[in-house]
Amino acid sequence: MYRNGFSLLFFGLTFLATIVLYGNSDERGPRDVFVDLILADKSEQSALIEEMNEFGDPIIAKIYEDWRRGKIFSLETEASKEIIYIDERNNCYSLLTGEVLEYSEETRENFNKERIARALRKQFKGLIDTLGLKSINAKTRIKSAIKLGRSQKAEYIEPLEKRLAIEENAKVKAAIDEALAINLLKNGNETQRLESVNRLAELKSIAAKDFIEKILAREIDAGKSNEPLALACSASILTIESHIRVIEFFGSFFRGLSTGSVLLIVSFGLAITFGLMGVINMAHGEFVAIGGYTTFLVQNVFISIWGIDHPMFGWYFLVAFPVSFIVAALIGIVVEKGVIRFLYRRPLESLLCTWGLSMMMQQGFRLIFGAANVQVNNPSWLMGSLNFGGFSMSFTRLLIVALAILVVFLTWALLQKTNLGLHIRAVMQNRNMASSLGIPVSKVNSMTFSLGCGLAALGGAALSQIGNVGPSMGQAYIVDSFMVVVIGSVGNLIGAGLSAMGIGMVDQLLQPYLGPVMGKITVFFIIILFLQWKPGGIFPTKSRSLDD
Amino acid sequence: MNKPPVFRDTPFILSVEGVTKSFDGFKAINDLNFYLEEGELRTVIGPNGAGKSTFMDILTGKTNPDVGTVTFHRPDGHDVDLIKLKEYQINRLGIGRKFQTPSIYASHTVYDNLLLSLNRARGILGTLFYKLNSEDEDKINEVLKIINLTTSKSRPAGLLSHGQMQWLEIGMLLAQELKILLIDEPAAGMSDEETVKTGELLLSLEGKHTLIVIEHDMEFIRQIARRVTVLHQGSVLKEGSFENVKADPEVIEVYLGRQTRAEI
Amino acid sequence: MTNKNIFKELGASGVILAFLMLLPILNMVGPDSGLFSVSAFQLSLWGKYLTFAVLAMSLNLLWGYTGLLCLCQSLFFALGGYMMGMYLMLMIGERGAYKSVLPDFMVFLGYQDLPIHWAPFYNFWFTSAAILWVPGVVALIFGYLAFRSRIRGVYFSILTQALTYASCLLFYRNDFTFGGNNGFTDFKDILGMDLNSIETVRILFISSVVLLFLTYFITSFLLKTKLGKIQQAIRDSENRVLFSGYSTANFKLGIFVLSAMIAGAAGALYVPQVGGINPSLMEAAKSLEVVVWVAVGGRGTKWGPAIGAIFVNLLKSYTTQAFPDYWLIFMGGLFVFVVLFMPQGLIGVYNQLKEKFLKKEGTVSV
Repeated sequence: MYRNGFSLLFFGLTFLATIVLYGNSDERGPRDVFVDLILADKSEQSALIEEMNEFGDPIIAKIYEDWRRGKIFSLETEASKEIIYIDERNNCYSLLTGEVLEYSEETRENFNKERIARALRKQFKGLIDTLGLKSINAKTRIKSAIKLGRSQKAEYIEPLEKRLAIEENAKVKAAIDEALAINLLKNGNETQRLESVNRLAELKSIAAKDFIEKILAREIDAGKSNEPLALACSASILTIESHIRVIEFFGSFFRGLSTGSVLLIVSFGLAITFGLMGVINMAHGEFVAIGGYTTFLVQNVFISIWGIDHPMFGWYFLVAFPVSFIVAALIGIVVEKGVIRFLYRRPLESLLCTWGLSMMMQQGFRLIFGAANVQVNNPSWLMGSLNFGGFSMSFTRLLIVALAILVVFLTWALLQKTNLGLHIRAVMQNRNMASSLGIPVSKVNSMTFSLGCGLAALGGAALSQIGNVGPSMGQAYIVDSFMVVVIGSVGNLIGAGLSAMGIGMVDQLLQPYLGPVMGKITVFFIIILFLQWKPGGIFPTKSRSLDD
Repeated sequence: MNKPPVFRDTPFILSVEGVTKSFDGFKAINDLNFYLEEGELRTVIGPNGAGKSTFMDILTGKTNPDVGTVTFHRPDGHDVDLIKLKEYQINRLGIGRKFQTPSIYASHTVYDNLLLSLNRARGILGTLFYKLNSEDEDKINEVLKIINLTTSKSRPAGLLSHGQMQWLEIGMLLAQELKILLIDEPAAGMSDEETVKTGELLLSLEGKHTLIVIEHDMEFIRQIARRVTVLHQGSVLKEGSFENVKADPEVIEVYLGRQTRAEI
Repeated sequence: MTNKNIFKELGASGVILAFLMLLPILNMVGPDSGLFSVSAFQLSLWGKYLTFAVLAMSLNLLWGYTGLLCLCQSLFFALGGYMMGMYLMLMIGERGAYKSVLPDFMVFLGYQDLPIHWAPFYNFWFTSAAILWVPGVVALIFGYLAFRSRIRGVYFSILTQALTYASCLLFYRNDFTFGGNNGFTDFKDILGMDLNSIETVRILFISSVVLLFLTYFITSFLLKTKLGKIQQAIRDSENRVLFSGYSTANFKLGIFVLSAMIAGAAGALYVPQVGGINPSLMEAAKSLEVVVWVAVGGRGTKWGPAIGAIFVNLLKSYTTQAFPDYWLIFMGGLFVFVVLFMPQGLIGVYNQLKEKFLKKEGTVSV
């Protein structure tokens, strides 16, 4: 299967290459230069290498490698000399065009292996190392620049300088600038080294920190700790370190934001059902899992219709959101009608009963989907990240933050702007009064419960992009979500939002220092201490009657 | 607490001065001043939201006021600041409270309900080694007689009628041998006959105890009223005899007027 | 309580005692096969059930009689278990796989010396005390903070669950010196007696019976005192108790600590009978399971929780074998059913049936 896939891929590539070659038939490409180079005399080689130097095509490295490993042959015919490349499966291609060539066994016996001269190899080595610098892909150029800088080899200074002069992309320019400075740290003269150290501090180069530290150590060993170079080194290390701290802080902050967002999405539903109905839903985590599994199923439907490589596949995730919500909401209605209805205002009983439900649902998932986690693929548009000066935010996490904002907005709109919202608020405040005013309390209850379940499933759909989807995926978040509800005061959505963000932030800001487990435990103790100070949570309910 | 007695220089048993309590900017109690004489039966009335319940909460330590003082003048002449004390500590000083909805121990017998309300052996070890003596037994039987529940003394309290539960709770206050009884809507949910009986019971306590009664039922207030305090928007609007208060145009405007109109 | 009820209760306790004592006797003198044979394996299995029964009774003190639904009972049970486990680990001595004085997992994790807090556990009597005071102190600290800030009802449940969760994470760590994931295992002997010998199994079983009855007597005694009545009063109307001059926080704290100690003692007997302990014993779900035992048996009854614990565990061992894929669904369904339709548990059903058939006034509490 894989072999087929590869040959298909290879066929595709060759096909593309053919088009490219035909499209540029009037211009000389790397293949033309290679053919010439193989046929050329020693005297002509330098010029051809120069010409090769103009291209940034990765195929150069591949062909060179094949040449070096003796896979390039020539075949002399009356008219011309054909240069042939033979792959692992003994297929022949024209080196010039990349077309497949059919030769009989007898003809093949006339093939001449083309060997590469030692001198040429040396020249190629430099060429191939700096190949990435000339790539049409900016990312490749950056990668190559970083590599060339870190190697600190003197021979790379020239290509780097050359590229810097003609480079137009600002990011690549900065990378090359940094690479040059790092390279010059070792290979430059006294002034150049000093300049580089200062330049790297200006660039806040994290990559340079180790190199500068090494220089500083050597200078100190040499007893030159008071000379300009050593002083510049210390100064620039300080600058870079403070920059690293800033980046780490923002990184933790962003992780806190996204962890908080997950908690928020998961705990909002919990806060609503608890606040409205006094029902503690221990099966809430399983509704999160329903969201995850629904996303998995929607993904599979997309794969079976369009296949995983089809551009349509990327959109499955957007479809999965509403579907998850609806599926969980429907199951929520069933659960409410069947079980929860009998448990209003009996939080302890509801806790036990929903725990029983949670066990059943978890085992149900195991029976249907298996005990192992299922594979949910990120759509391609969610891969990658946003970068700001060394600090990156992955799209999936950004999406979750956006989703949390959306959930807050939708819930707010639902509660404030719709009839159902009016009813929900009325029932929340005074159940008996609402009922005697003709509000259909039982209907409001099941709608609210299913709303809570739907929100949980949205959380699950979002989690499928950053974590595992499995039978007990909800359990990891349920304890934290309960904490959020307790801290944020029951039934108070603003409180739930604030405490979700607070717990998420504190958790992530502590993690770099304490590690994940101790971080969690510390958060728990902070919560206990917080409750000493504010026993009713952030926004305590102003209940004036004693008998709640 | 066992300081030598000093001369008691005030006829009051309780003084509340300059108390304010706000919830989220809403002043449930606003610069309230209130004095209670020993042995008095005071009726507190006021429209919904006047701050009656919050007032009770402050007196019993459930809520702490933002500013102001609440002072209990002990019979031995010493003053106690109630604000710093916890609910059970205030109760031990002799201030008890009956809640709006009857709050009793449903699974205990009527007898045990009263037994647990006696003002002795209230620490952990005390309760662990407590032995019922004849003095306590007499006290319980006496209270049972007052609240007319002698025949139901071995029944679980949860099986009593609503009116009986109200009485039981009043009985539980009596068993505590309190100085001040705070009674929140004792006649709520009672039949007319029961209401009259409750009124008689409260009147019979006057003099022996100091009482604050919060009530809505005008008929009932007419029956028991001595001195009446009208609360409005968290402070005292009027204080005086029921007849005076009833005739006051301001009071009629904020409370009685509305009430009578609503009744018609 | 009438005399008749006292006799009924004594009768029920007698039947339970007789049944439990029959097991080691049959093990000693009974046949090798057939209905009346009791193997050492079965005896220690029943011993395990008895420690669960004690655990359920300790929760009943809190939930059944005081109205506090505590979800950290499994933590106290495990703490007691770990204390006993430390002693048993040290008793292995140099007979472990690494032939070192240190317990195997310490050698494996690269410890050079015995951590200082392990040293006193060479002493059995120190261990016995620690089994009680360690869970007690944890309960004291947590309970003080929780009750002081008036954490009640379902908030208490949620926070105790979080406490269990946090502790469980802690015990899963290798550097917490309690063996991490794998916990303790491969015990050899206790007080010089071989843990695998039939005599030790019998002694441990009988100790469990003694602990069960001790817990029963403590519960019965408490219920008779004013303290026990205050307990139930707190369950019915905590505000009334508070406004009657009792510091409810202190009472709840006292009961909480007592309950934690009983749970710890049960855990200490569990470990040698099962032959190991690891952090999965204190997972949050385990605490909920204990709650379910109590609910199934009948909360607020003296024998109900113990009967519930044994019943559910027998059922569990049957269903896990008979329907390995469906037993969780079955158990989950049972809990939903019990909460919805059997609020008084098995004891309640027994009483209802009895009332129906005998058409008598008044219910009987067992």
